[in-house]
Amino acid sequence: MSGWGTPSRTVTLGRVQPQSPALRTIYCNHREANFAHRYKGNSISTTKYNVFTFLPKGLYEQFRRVANLYFLMVSILSATPYSPVHPITNMVPLSLVLLFSLIKEAFEDWQRFQNDMTINNSLVDVLQAQGWESLQWKKLQVGDIIRVKQDGFFPADLLLLASTNVDGICYIETANLDGETNLKIRKALERTWDYVTPEKACEFKGEVQCEQPNNSLYTFTGNLVVDNQTMPLSPNQILLRGCSLKNTDYIVGTVIFTGHETKVMMNSMNVPSKRSTLERKLDKLILALFSTLFSMCLLGAIGSGIFIDRKYYYLGLSQSVEDQFNPSKRFLVIILTMLTLLTLYSTIIPISLYVSIETIKFIQSSQFINKDLNMYHAESNTPASARTSNLNEELGQVEYIFSDKTGTLTRNLMEFFKCSIGGEMYGTGMTEIEMGVAERKGIKVQEAKTSTNSLREKGFNFDDVRLMQGAWRHEPNHDACKEYFRCLAICHTVLPEGEETPEKIRYQAASPDEAALVLAAKNFGFFFYRRTPTMIYVRESHVEKMGKTQDVSYEILNVLEFNSTRKRQSVVCRYPDGRLVLYCKGADTVIYERLGTGNDDLNKVTRVHLEQFGSAGLRTLCLAYRDLAPDLYESWNEKFITAKSSLRDREKRLDEVAELIEKELILIGATAIEDKLQEGVPNCIQTLSRAGIKIWVLTGDKIETAINIAYACNLLNNEMKQFIISSETDAIREVEERGDQTEIARFMKEEVKKQLKQFLDEAPQYFCSPSGPKLALVIDGKCLMYALEPSLRIMLLTLSLNCSSVVCCRVSPLQKAQVTSLVKKGARKITLSIGDGANDVSMIQAAHIGIGISGLEGMQAVMASDFAIAQFRFLEDLLLVHGRWSYIRLCKVVMYFFYKNLAFTLTQFWFTFGTGFSGQRFYDDWFQSLYNVIFTALPVVIVGLFDQDISSSLSKKYPELYKEGVRNMFFNRRIVAIWACFAVYQSLVFFYFVSLSSSTSRDSDGKMFGLWDVSTMAFTCVVVTVNLRLLMMCNSITRWHYISVGGSIIVWFVFIFVYSGIMTRFDRNDNMFWVIYVLMSTSYFYITLLLVPVAALLGDFLYLGVQRWFFPYDYQIVQESHKDDADSINTPDSQETKEHLTPDEARSNAISQLPKEVSKHSGFAFDSPGYESFFATQFGKYVPPKAWDVARRASMKSKSKPK
Amino acid sequence: MDTDRERHRARETAFYLFTQQSLPACKPVLTPGWVIAIFLFMGVIFIPVGLVTLRASHCVVEIVDRYDIDCVPEPSRMDKVSYIQDDSIPKNCSRFMKVHKYMKAPIYIYYQLDNYYQNHRRYVKSRSDKQLLDGQKYHDTSSCQPVESNNNRPIVPCGLIAWSLFNDTFEFIREGAELKVNRKNIAWKSDRSHKFGKNVYPFNFQNGTLIGGGKLNPEIPLSDQEDLIVWMRTSALPSFRKLYGRIEEDLDVDDVVVVNLMNNYNTYSFGGKKKLALSTSSWLGGKNDFLGHACVFAGCSSLTLAIIFMLLHVKYRRPYGDMSYLPWNRKSFSG
Repeated sequence: MSGWGTPSRTVTLGRVQPQSPALRTIYCNHREANFAHRYKGNSISTTKYNVFTFLPKGLYEQFRRVANLYFLMVSILSATPYSPVHPITNMVPLSLVLLFSLIKEAFEDWQRFQNDMTINNSLVDVLQAQGWESLQWKKLQVGDIIRVKQDGFFPADLLLLASTNVDGICYIETANLDGETNLKIRKALERTWDYVTPEKACEFKGEVQCEQPNNSLYTFTGNLVVDNQTMPLSPNQILLRGCSLKNTDYIVGTVIFTGHETKVMMNSMNVPSKRSTLERKLDKLILALFSTLFSMCLLGAIGSGIFIDRKYYYLGLSQSVEDQFNPSKRFLVIILTMLTLLTLYSTIIPISLYVSIETIKFIQSSQFINKDLNMYHAESNTPASARTSNLNEELGQVEYIFSDKTGTLTRNLMEFFKCSIGGEMYGTGMTEIEMGVAERKGIKVQEAKTSTNSLREKGFNFDDVRLMQGAWRHEPNHDACKEYFRCLAICHTVLPEGEETPEKIRYQAASPDEAALVLAAKNFGFFFYRRTPTMIYVRESHVEKMGKTQDVSYEILNVLEFNSTRKRQSVVCRYPDGRLVLYCKGADTVIYERLGTGNDDLNKVTRVHLEQFGSAGLRTLCLAYRDLAPDLYESWNEKFITAKSSLRDREKRLDEVAELIEKELILIGATAIEDKLQEGVPNCIQTLSRAGIKIWVLTGDKIETAINIAYACNLLNNEMKQFIISSETDAIREVEERGDQTEIARFMKEEVKKQLKQFLDEAPQYFCSPSGPKLALVIDGKCLMYALEPSLRIMLLTLSLNCSSVVCCRVSPLQKAQVTSLVKKGARKITLSIGDGANDVSMIQAAHIGIGISGLEGMQAVMASDFAIAQFRFLEDLLLVHGRWSYIRLCKVVMYFFYKNLAFTLTQFWFTFGTGFSGQRFYDDWFQSLYNVIFTALPVVIVGLFDQDISSSLSKKYPELYKEGVRNMFFNRRIVAIWACFAVYQSLVFFYFVSLSSSTSRDSDGKMFGLWDVSTMAFTCVVVTVNLRLLMMCNSITRWHYISVGGSIIVWFVFIFVYSGIMTRFDRNDNMFWVIYVLMSTSYFYITLLLVPVAALLGDFLYLGVQRWFFPYDYQIVQESHKDDADSINTPDSQETKEHLTPDEARSNAISQLPKEVSKHSGFAFDSPGYESFFATQFGKYVPPKAWDVARRASMKSKSKPK
Repeated sequence: MDTDRERHRARETAFYLFTQQSLPACKPVLTPGWVIAIFLFMGVIFIPVGLVTLRASHCVVEIVDRYDIDCVPEPSRMDKVSYIQDDSIPKNCSRFMKVHKYMKAPIYIYYQLDNYYQNHRRYVKSRSDKQLLDGQKYHDTSSCQPVESNNNRPIVPCGLIAWSLFNDTFEFIREGAELKVNRKNIAWKSDRSHKFGKNVYPFNFQNGTLIGGGKLNPEIPLSDQEDLIVWMRTSALPSFRKLYGRIEEDLDVDDVVVVNLMNNYNTYSFGGKKKLALSTSSWLGGKNDFLGHACVFAGCSSLTLAIIFMLLHVKYRRPYGDMSYLPWNRKSFSG
């Protein structure tokens, strides 16, 4: 592993900024000198618009939508003489829609602006003329020296100069940056420790040479030059904007990056917005509507070309006639009539559709998903959060779930469970997995009796009389034990917090494993209680005598940090007696590579133990040490320091230097930590798989661990036929030992291909027989790498799609993303990725839906996700309830829009046939323009919000119903065709019933109806029918349905009463004057109003009846069988009986029940094992760049995007 | 205070029910019972309504006579257009209409035109509502194209609609005595009083080289030119009737009404038909079986469907809510 070069390229979440070649030079405390560089100010603006750009930019954004653009074009067209309608007909709906959207935009931007103002105007102490002066943040400049007090936020990226703490140390919290709430240490250079007071600080003159602003959070390279002395700077001296100061009275720092050049601002990027599949299908529908529109226009236009003739003398065609009606230019007539009809039929495109859908989705996500108490995790006080409202309905169609293991399926709660010391295994506990295994084998498990004096603590679940209570002293290998415990107590990067007693101390650790290990050491009598940057203090229970303790201090000389390439962590320490030891802990593979010779027996026995631990689902680490000779150490340390101060490729060099000393190790033993399953995971997985969702586990764990977790989670069971493709076969090992890289690659590829082929041949015989076993595939990262190559990809896909569960182990973040996009692109299925850590980010972004667990391991996954939930089991609610409902609702909304606009426009179309294809409008301008935005707008939104086919509890009880969404049963060609048929039928009824019955009819006074009387009648019928049709498609009808439907109809009548009653001298709507009053004075009006809606809806009703009778949807059967208990479910049930808890009360209740915990730990204390370093290593190594490499592509895209 | 708090709490609860999506709702399930009941109900409602409507329509007595061909003398029938355009030929014509059923006054006289596109876009927009109200005071008559002005003087009323005013006239004689035709109050009252000016007189009307139709008496204000007002209420379909007047005497069975008509209006160019209709009226209006038939049809089909569904329900009863219908419960059959 060490042999691979690691080109250090930092990859970050945000846009990659082009690196300017020049270094930035900052003159500290010297405003004039810095002025020349014209650095950016410290005021920030996150608004999208300002007063001047709001209209142009906002409108531009709106008109990027095809529908809006189309309506703009039609509006312009309708201002020409070719238009049969007044421009308002199309302008009004367009402007209403635009107005609505713009108000929304403006409101959101205003809130952002307010936020910015508060931030920009907050005050900070700046050094000016010998004293601190309060200055607004926005006035801060590069090079200024400032003071930040405890709990204050850093206003810009600062170089830490001095702190009130000893040794120039300060503690910071980076919650705003990455969500990690544990404190991190920053340490100033020794040279600058003194500049604490203003008097002193004034004297400080220095020059910082550093990299240009970039967005890499965990790197910084630069030098501080003071008095011609150059000192290297590292991220350890940098305080980033957005972090806050803790446990330190104040610090003094100099500003190096300001405003938008700070790392946090450069990292803020718009999460690439995903569009839902439904919406993309909607585009197709719109396209179909466009082509319908086009053919309608074409038909009408050709008709007009044929119709127009001088014989109709009353049309005045004999003299000079404008082109549109000129019988001698028929072709021109056709073209121009096309334009006419285009404006006339424009209502076929539902302009308010997008606005309505957006509103619905926004409310769905902000009110329903975010506030659902079923998805509220009381323990951590985290509600679910929809970070985008684009994907609600996508949740209803998920077919594949890609899940991370750690922190997602398992709690990130590590408990020290077993250990192996010097070849002896300790620990009597039994993991759930072991119990599960035993159960499967039919062995009865007795709950192992815990010894009475066993000590249990969160993070420590170990029991063995041989070790506890100091009993280890009597073990034969007590020396090894001692070394083992010391290693646990010394080799870590944990920070102690609180009182220095074993009971009260709390450990701040980067990973829960580390905390568990230190905790274990404490329980074994090696109590680590204090850390300074150079020392670790351990209270060791006396080695010889029981009950006596002795404080020992170890000098920490070097810390060789953990990162995912190294997979190990080492500490060089000096005992009080001068003994130099390197303690190392790390992954078994890495440690075994570096063991010295001899001790083969111990190594072998420990390896057996490791395998046992692994199969019990435990996480293992190997501990080793090495005694160092002083001269060897000194010579190494020099190299280490040069590497550490190098400006370029620092990480890579550090890794190389570390290699030099981490060798010839002596194995002490191994730790085994239990990774507990999250609550309710097995049940949730079972429910989801009943819903037809296939769950893939993608994990970095070993194959055994992964399989066992899969067993524990119900993903695998013994009835399944398992295909395992592993690189850990003898044949592969053999080739690997020969060491020829190309040969290994070739051989592995062959091997993987062979296996895939074999499994593919085998697979059909299993899934063809109905009662045959389900299939499962287990594949490890190395094999996956080859299987993902283009030549084998198809085979992998076909095989895995036939498997009901797939487990990929030992995979890199990139491979996670690759697997996800393999299914997403290759199989065109809807995928969902769920994970909690930084290493899941690429997978989360690659899938259709990304879900972050807002739990323990930082916020990066959540930041990249579309939805964040606190627990894996909430997926059940999110998918089966919210997703399913949203999907069904959205389908209904879309279909209804489609139907109502088609039915309405078609009446107009039929009329065209009776007007000599002239394009005469049937309806009044205002009727047409308000149809979409007033008379039929609200009820459909209500349906989009409230419609429920079955209650949430039934949705979860019958997860199989979810399959209807996966199969897209509610929005497909058949459904569209059915709606279209009924729209055509209804429009025929509307037009012909009304016009035919009026042709000889009149009021009792013998007077005849004209065009506008007939059209008003028809429009009334349309409005009534369309609104009633909405009620017919509802599965549940609330009061709001009645109000909105009734309201819409009433609004129409109120409108027409006022509209036809008013005629002023300025606005003479002669056509409409008094129409409704005359109409309503005839009995014809009432009979028609009764007949037409009923006749129009008779077909729909018949369809609904027949469909339910003979071809019922699954949900309808469930509806029927639970029809009678509907009441008990309906009336606000269990929750209501929880005596009227309002959400706020419920939440505060929940909070009060919370265990009082200060911090949810995570992230490395001295430096984070950042996402980027994890990633960077992946880039140069495993994966040759591929076109479908998602993470890479994402970053390229953002690069090409103009800033 | 208390009520305030209660109201507050009620609002909170409502909001809670909203966010938890458990608003009280009625969840109709369309069971066979409902389907049958609703169809039956429809039938029960619509058949009577239809029958009543039909009866009303049947009470109406209507005599229709197409006269456009017969009123052209035999020799001219080959070239009807030149006949109608030749002013020198007298256009009078007599028709006989036999009353087959007692007709109670008032009897409405309609003329009916077919294949006449009064709803053509060019036609419909060729008018000036403001001019109709204000007369020559209103100058912007561009909408009246192409009949806007003549000899550089405006035309009142302008536009194609007015220009093509129907100008056949009818006289009715029964047993030698002329039947009085009341030609007042044939237009909408709202039209007369609000759309056509009381002080606006026809001006420069039909003075051009091309004469489209009837002329207007320049002495009478537009608001009293009811023929024009009726004509200008454009029809919805290319086949339409317009009210001509009222006979305010009853007609008995087997009365023969002689109609002396002036066949002035040119429908021959475009092959339109002209008809004369005498009709009584009922509470529903004129003779129109369509509504009645449609109602009866809707009612009958509802009833039929109800019966079919009932039979189906008896014969192929689907046990509603039977879980064994669910696909995952019958997997054993299909695999």
